[in-house]
Amino acid sequence: MLLVAPAVVFFVILFIVPVGTMIAFSFFRQTSTGDLAPALTLANYARLASVDLYRTVLFTTIRVSLFTTIGAMLLAYPVALVMVRGNAIVARLLAIIVIAPLLVNVVIRTYGWRVILTNSQNGVLNWILVQLGLDPVRILYTEWAIVIGSVHVFLPLMVLPLAAALGKIDPYVEEAARTLGGSAWDVFRKVTLPLSVPGLAVGSTLVFSLTSSSFVAPALLGGNFAKMLGTLVEEQIMSVFDWPFGASIATVLIVIVLAINFAYVRLVERRFPTRITPVM
Amino acid sequence: MGGTLGRSAPLLYAASALVAVFLLAPLVVPIAISFSDTPFVTFPPKGFTLRWYWKILNEPEFISSFRFSVMLAVIATLGSLLLGTPTAIGLVRYQFPGRAAIQSLVLSPLVFPMLVTGIALLRLFTSVNSQSSLLNLTLGHILVTVPYVVRTVSSSLALLDPSIEDAARTLGANRFETFWRVTRPQIMPGIVAGAIFAFVTSFDNYPVSMWLADAVNIPLPLMIFTLTSRFFDPGIAAIATLMILVSVALILIMERVTGLRRAMSM
Repeated sequence: MLLVAPAVVFFVILFIVPVGTMIAFSFFRQTSTGDLAPALTLANYARLASVDLYRTVLFTTIRVSLFTTIGAMLLAYPVALVMVRGNAIVARLLAIIVIAPLLVNVVIRTYGWRVILTNSQNGVLNWILVQLGLDPVRILYTEWAIVIGSVHVFLPLMVLPLAAALGKIDPYVEEAARTLGGSAWDVFRKVTLPLSVPGLAVGSTLVFSLTSSSFVAPALLGGNFAKMLGTLVEEQIMSVFDWPFGASIATVLIVIVLAINFAYVRLVERRFPTRITPVM
Repeated sequence: MGGTLGRSAPLLYAASALVAVFLLAPLVVPIAISFSDTPFVTFPPKGFTLRWYWKILNEPEFISSFRFSVMLAVIATLGSLLLGTPTAIGLVRYQFPGRAAIQSLVLSPLVFPMLVTGIALLRLFTSVNSQSSLLNLTLGHILVTVPYVVRTVSSSLALLDPSIEDAARTLGANRFETFWRVTRPQIMPGIVAGAIFAFVTSFDNYPVSMWLADAVNIPLPLMIFTLTSRFFDPGIAAIATLMILVSVALILIMERVTGLRRAMSM
């Protein structure tokens, strides 16, 4: 008991109390002098939901997080399958390639995407398109640029739980399905895919939560043209100094993350008693 | 061993190769560009020069940020180990009321949006008038790195037979001696893995640092972020290359110490 006491004190003072205070702030009102008045108002939330500009940001955040999650699932599946069942050397190499980007700074990785997606002819993607005789595209500073960058940043968090889930599937179950006459596609759709749902769910929960509250990718790849809640909250607190409004945006981020995690527990954990520990 | 992928194997290998290209592209492209002998970033790179490396290594802002980030990461890692290791031992070895709740509490910064943790801390430090950015950043970084230490040390401890510790105690060692001479050497892989995670998390942290840094103490990720919007020459690509080399070194250390995949699943 004494062993855990310092950590508990530390977390209460630096985590529970500040987060609680911040949530309380979101119901405050800022007076014209910049002072904060405890007003118990929902005005800050109403503003986020009713002002067009802010509502757009909210929807962009949800859309980008959703597309990033779907993109990560599609890319993660073949990789996870090869990591678990493929040739041992290829699997090991692939594991390193998947995990390595996690250890490279997010700013650096996002910078790499800026160079690749640059709208002018100097961009790598446009250079390739022109070489292929195609028209260059304008993709930087759009939601798609954020989705691409975010899939890259969070893909390992989808691959690792998925690989863990696939690794737990008894190969004989699939073997049996095949023996009983199922085609490769049938076996995948009716046996492998359903059994890998716990891994996909953990991965999706992580990817969606992290994308929705990210800052670096939307700031560097979306700029002023595709804002997300993360960039909006930074602007409101650091430039506008509107603490109550900033706190309400932060609270919305907490609600999004809690809702996703709650949905995960309700939908998946109860049906699949074996838990896949999320990584990182 | 050919694997058990069946007839769809070629398709899966091809898809994985494409994903590998996608994962490596934003790391390889800046490396190629960092040697480009052009005054601006362009692809394909032209010529060969090392002058961008020379330029950034003589950029005082870059050097001081790098130093500051290393110092911050070292302090935060030590703090995290001091706070996290006893917590892990308490949680794994002893049963007490509220144990599960405390475990969720100390692991919660992992799932809680870090950006929001940073905002909450900024508000706290402003309200208690704590103006030392080094102290504020250190506390913030310890908060978000402790969960890694708790988790890696816990999984090391779970593999350890508690009766060995009981034996040490029966043979007359006190609690601390038992920890230092019996438990510690055996949970070392967990401590090292936790330390590496803590160091990397602190060194790379953006979403907490962005709220707590001031004009003097600017952690490296923030500095690089600022530089990307100020410089358009391949100097940033040279910084990126150096940072990628640091990451490669860390990956090799991790692979040696615990094995990368094992470390990631701790």
